[in-house]
Amino acid sequence: MPQLRDSGTRTLHATEPVPSAEMDGFCRIFGVETEYGVAVTGAEKPVDAGQVAMTMFQPIVSRSRSTNTYLTNGSRLYLDVGSHPEYATAEARAPHEALAQDLAGERVMRGLAGKAQAKLRETYGEHATIHVFKNNVDSAGHAFGCHENYLVRRFVPLEAVEHQLLPFLITRQLYTGAGRITPDGFQITQRADFLDEAVSSATTRSRPMVNTRDEPHADPDSFRRLHVIIGDSNRSQWATWMKLAVTHLVLCVIEEAFRRGEPSGFEDWAFIDPASANRAVSRFLDAPDAALPLVSGETVSALALQRRYFHAVALFVADHREAMDAAFAVNTSMVKHATDIAADVAADSPTTVILGEWDRALQALEAHDYETLADRVDWAAKRRVFEALRRRRPDVTSMQLEQLELDYHDVANGRLYDSLVSRGQLHQLMTRDEVERAVREAPQDTRAALRGRFVEAALASGVQFSAHWTHLTVTAPERREAILLDPFSAEATAEFEHLMALLGR
Amino acid sequence: MPQQFEQPQSQTQETREDDVLAQSAPQSTDQTQDQSDVLDDILNDIESTLETNAEEYVNSFVQKGGE
Repeated sequence: MPQLRDSGTRTLHATEPVPSAEMDGFCRIFGVETEYGVAVTGAEKPVDAGQVAMTMFQPIVSRSRSTNTYLTNGSRLYLDVGSHPEYATAEARAPHEALAQDLAGERVMRGLAGKAQAKLRETYGEHATIHVFKNNVDSAGHAFGCHENYLVRRFVPLEAVEHQLLPFLITRQLYTGAGRITPDGFQITQRADFLDEAVSSATTRSRPMVNTRDEPHADPDSFRRLHVIIGDSNRSQWATWMKLAVTHLVLCVIEEAFRRGEPSGFEDWAFIDPASANRAVSRFLDAPDAALPLVSGETVSALALQRRYFHAVALFVADHREAMDAAFAVNTSMVKHATDIAADVAADSPTTVILGEWDRALQALEAHDYETLADRVDWAAKRRVFEALRRRRPDVTSMQLEQLELDYHDVANGRLYDSLVSRGQLHQLMTRDEVERAVREAPQDTRAALRGRFVEAALASGVQFSAHWTHLTVTAPERREAILLDPFSAEATAEFEHLMALLGR
Repeated sequence: MPQQFEQPQSQTQETREDDVLAQSAPQSTDQTQDQSDVLDDILNDIESTLETNAEEYVNSFVQKGGE
């Protein structure tokens, strides 16, 4: 991944301490980085996928003179190593908002692919079709990522993340896995066979499950950024929302324990071998009760461990519900037109809704009732369609199933996912209007709002500019910069106002 | 050689997107409609996808780098 000024926050802080007002509560910043894969079918002559990705980014290059830019919704859009289009959502305070921003990314990719495909067909024939896969593995076994980012209070040591959070992240995949057809049969995750290390600072050389690269993009004395690699890219809106929401709740428990100097209750749940536990979870359908050894000497099934986390979190929520709900700062206009789950979030306690969905998912797994999960969980949705297809066409080949599985992830020209949605078989948490708005507008209650305003004004005035998570810069005709170190603040600083004045705002 | 890929949508990208999004809120699926009927409809929707060259489709997707 291209790294721009990532060391900036540390040196900056040495001269300009910014104590965070958000240390005490359960506020969090959420972000999702999604790498997309690109392929072309139907071309009349060979076409290079890398070249196609460049064509997709042509409008970006002519706008920003770079394949790396920030959009008016505060997100970052760029072409990553290996011609992966990548989209990093703007800072969100709630999983619901992060979901809207992630779906905006899908919409942006679909738009870029549509334009590039029209261009491609001029040279490669009318059947040339661009596929933009929101998945994690290609046909040759290259894996790529969907990384979740959580701003975590600095007083939580990394060892706690490894020992207390990782077992949760590994078993969470029971309901957030996207599923994949592998040489070993159908697995419930995309990535388990490609992750080998538990916690590491690298992402491309080795494949850790949690990355420790310390770039908080915020006051480094107050916060660290937890960079979670283990998750799959989800098409299911419910799954994207759930993985962020439930992980947040578990982090709240861990943070509060360190804040008070008390045990979290998760101390003894670390796996002896996280990578092999991860692979076992991925093969859940073959052996749902597989016993996984813990460091404590005990063995436990993945599902039983999830149930333990659920019980511990439910107890914690009972004592902290009000503060936890307050932390989400749910923007009620966001959910006004939304569907049942989202409406519950507005009407009820959001924390209670998350617990309810979590419990329901675990109950279905405990009852081996995977059909019940097929309207929420990606792997269950796929499995249900594959089984129906096998019943209709006993001669269906594994290659055809693989094709269908890829098609589910194709945000540009895929059929299966859209069919499931249009026939009411996959829960939607966002309306079309909400996603459209997230394409245009940044979350209004974080730093992203300022970045969005800046990008919009800079584009309108035609100046040369650059942006970063913590920096906004006009580079010509006169260089001026605003530094925004607090991701929770959408309040314009004097520096920011000066910058905007330069842009005629 | 032109590969014979069925183009499932002849509509423009934008039109198709609208069609899908217009229904993006979960419909109150007709309760009388059996789940297997819905699955049949879905299989019909993807029939044209399966008629393309699966091997070609799958093998076209080779990506390098990332993360």
